[in-house]
Amino acid sequence: MAGTLQEGIFHSPGASPPGHCTLMFLRADPDTDAEEVGELLAELWAMYRDLTRGTVRDLPGQPIASGGLQVLIGYGPKVFDLAGARRTLPKTFAPELRFRSASPSGGGPLLSGRGLHYAPDIKQNPATEEVCVQFTADTALGVHRPAVETWKVLHDRAGSALGVAPLAISAVFTGFQRADGRSWIDFHDGISNLRSDQRSRVIEIDGETAAGDDWIIAGTYLAFLRLVVDLPRWRGLTREEQELLVGRDKLTGSPIVGRTSEGDPRPDPRCPVAGTTQVIEAGNEKFREPEVVDDPLVQVSHVHRANQNRFEDAARPNSLRIFRQGYEFFEPSPVAPGFRAGLNFVSFQDTPERLIRVLRQQDWLGDVNFGGERDRQPPGMDRLLTVRAAGIYLVPPLVAEETFPGARIFA
Amino acid sequence: MPYDPPGRADHLPDDLVGRWNGLIEAAHAAHEPALGSRFFSLEPDTGADATTVQVGWFGDPAEPGFCLDPEAAEQLSDWGVRGRHELHNEYCEYAVQMAADANGVVRPKRVQVTTELAEYWLMLATWSPPTVRELVEEVLGVRPTWQELYGPGVSDPEALDPRQRTVAFATHVAGNGGDPELAEAGVPAQPMGTLNTANALFITHPINGLDDLLYIVMFGARPYARQTPDGFQPASREEIFRAFDVEHLACRHADPAAAMAAAGAAVAGRTVAFTNPLGMYLKSFTAELFTLDGAPVPDEWVRFSRGEPDRFQRLEFGPGDDDPHFLDDVTVTLGDVEKRVRGGYQVVRQLEVGPFVTLGPESPVADDERVVLQGSDEPIRCNEARACESVKNLQTRFEEQHGATRVAPRTMARDR
Repeated sequence: MAGTLQEGIFHSPGASPPGHCTLMFLRADPDTDAEEVGELLAELWAMYRDLTRGTVRDLPGQPIASGGLQVLIGYGPKVFDLAGARRTLPKTFAPELRFRSASPSGGGPLLSGRGLHYAPDIKQNPATEEVCVQFTADTALGVHRPAVETWKVLHDRAGSALGVAPLAISAVFTGFQRADGRSWIDFHDGISNLRSDQRSRVIEIDGETAAGDDWIIAGTYLAFLRLVVDLPRWRGLTREEQELLVGRDKLTGSPIVGRTSEGDPRPDPRCPVAGTTQVIEAGNEKFREPEVVDDPLVQVSHVHRANQNRFEDAARPNSLRIFRQGYEFFEPSPVAPGFRAGLNFVSFQDTPERLIRVLRQQDWLGDVNFGGERDRQPPGMDRLLTVRAAGIYLVPPLVAEETFPGARIFA
Repeated sequence: MPYDPPGRADHLPDDLVGRWNGLIEAAHAAHEPALGSRFFSLEPDTGADATTVQVGWFGDPAEPGFCLDPEAAEQLSDWGVRGRHELHNEYCEYAVQMAADANGVVRPKRVQVTTELAEYWLMLATWSPPTVRELVEEVLGVRPTWQELYGPGVSDPEALDPRQRTVAFATHVAGNGGDPELAEAGVPAQPMGTLNTANALFITHPINGLDDLLYIVMFGARPYARQTPDGFQPASREEIFRAFDVEHLACRHADPAAAMAAAGAAVAGRTVAFTNPLGMYLKSFTAELFTLDGAPVPDEWVRFSRGEPDRFQRLEFGPGDDDPHFLDDVTVTLGDVEKRVRGGYQVVRQLEVGPFVTLGPESPVADDERVVLQGSDEPIRCNEARACESVKNLQTRFEEQHGATRVAPRTMARDR
């Protein structure tokens, strides 16, 4: 019963995530049980398969362009508490390897005191449900349509029974890729990622990291954070302050390797290479993962805090390496300036411990919100990023004998 | 360049500094024939292009975690001196101080964590008994007797010759550290006295030695590569450790981290040297996870020592003797669960340790310098490692003494 990794994780050599992503969270009705949820998931999975083949159930004989849709399904810890669940919570999904809940009065730390916090208006984290579904496609329609088609199935199921479907949509988040390789703070701050030959051993659960739960071998864990950037605070910093917090030159993306005698950030003079203007262009690959530096102020910049064990074998959990597959977002907001901008941080790893430790450990990202010196943060930088939703989901392997990934959890 | 005392924690006369360097040079010389290369040096590069970096790993013992499970790892690692002697092999050892509360109940009071190398202390004990006595007093706050340091029959260590002092101190405070000559002289693997068993004075596990540290970095500091259709690529951890039949080392925190850091540097043609002062240092500690009555633990409960800032080798965590609190009054918040602190394992899980190394600038690596490996790249099954047999034996002994029933962790539900 050897399984394989689900689709929707773009880790192969030369692969890059398609342009659009939707993450949808489904909450189980309190009165339902595992069998009912499993039946519904089987129906949804079959519908998703149809969509990937260009078939919309309400439009028989009218093929559509799927937009390269790929669908991935994951399960939160609560799914194992459903009545009649046939699998028990994997050991690597222990409560200590999850995010904290938001404070009932709003806000509160995601993990530790100085790191990421929930936004003050978040009193309940909307991404801690039983089921998470990730849609990726080349077009916005490609990822929006399956969300609507999901609603149709749930709506019809509710109408045909007691008025309540076993699952309900609790939250939907959308995002898109940026071709320029920058984030909303204008920097190339998220371009350092694993080499393609290292990725599968970071992502896939193997016989060792399964810790005895062999049914999750070839699966992975998806971590999701909906992070809003406080752009007014960011714009309150000078370019030099921004560069030292990020660890890259704002314009070129060249890694900062030290400071000038005046204390200004000093980019690597070798980057970008001749004939190029930015680190994301061909020929600059070696500068995407910043090298170790001596300057203590540069060492505490974001790109260095997030990746300290560069020489360690990425396959080892001790490396704390993860495979990131984030999508930016932009959404209207009733609050000035009328929109929110940020990142759907998505990562895949063989154990949540890798990410949890990066976000929790002092000198990594545990004692700052984004970067810089722990006790000398520029004003407001302790809340540059706030969390609107966060969750970790087990992504079970695709197994030929199952009607949908993880089906044996339910029946 | 002579190395200063570890952490520059002590001001020693030149002759003792010289003897410390003699130990380093001897360990280096012992490995030089088999592992020497231009990529490792005892002379850190001092050029403008040199870079200093601290290699790091977590201080909790890895082996019981992958051989058994996290709960058993905590239970066995916290099993007093037995757990320490068998499992604390990540260059980080700890001892829990116990004390009676007002009701006479013996409870954990604080945790002592150390990364200090035994060879350094053994050198001092051999060549300067007054110095080692002062150090123990400085660290533990109590002046030890000569008998505690050198054995019941020794009232004046100066009356012993250096070799006798080495054997005596090793027998009672340091253990043999895996040194065959000391073992042949009758020194047990672990010390017989209580100074460094009731306390964590310095590390004593045989694999936590200076010799092993030099071995693993020198072992790693070679440009290991595999031939591919696209040319040479850096060899993987599996290929490197499997090629030299040391797969068991690949599963711990320390050895792969140290070796792969050195290998990564060598592949780029960089030299690797231990930064002065050579030692094993505490890298980061996430104290903020620990709270007392809902507030961060008082600053004075987190005491670093035995070194300069950024070069500390010792951490004491917990209340002082005059404080009415105990370690198990502390809560550690991990993810979505809060737990009472029961022992040292929960503390060292939040602690990174490692040595500093200085890397020279990149340089071309000639074809004949590469160590080309052709072994399997298949994952190493750590839970099938030989080390797991001894871990499981320890678990059997634990269960014989305590019964097989595990006490559920005391947890407190959080509001959702």
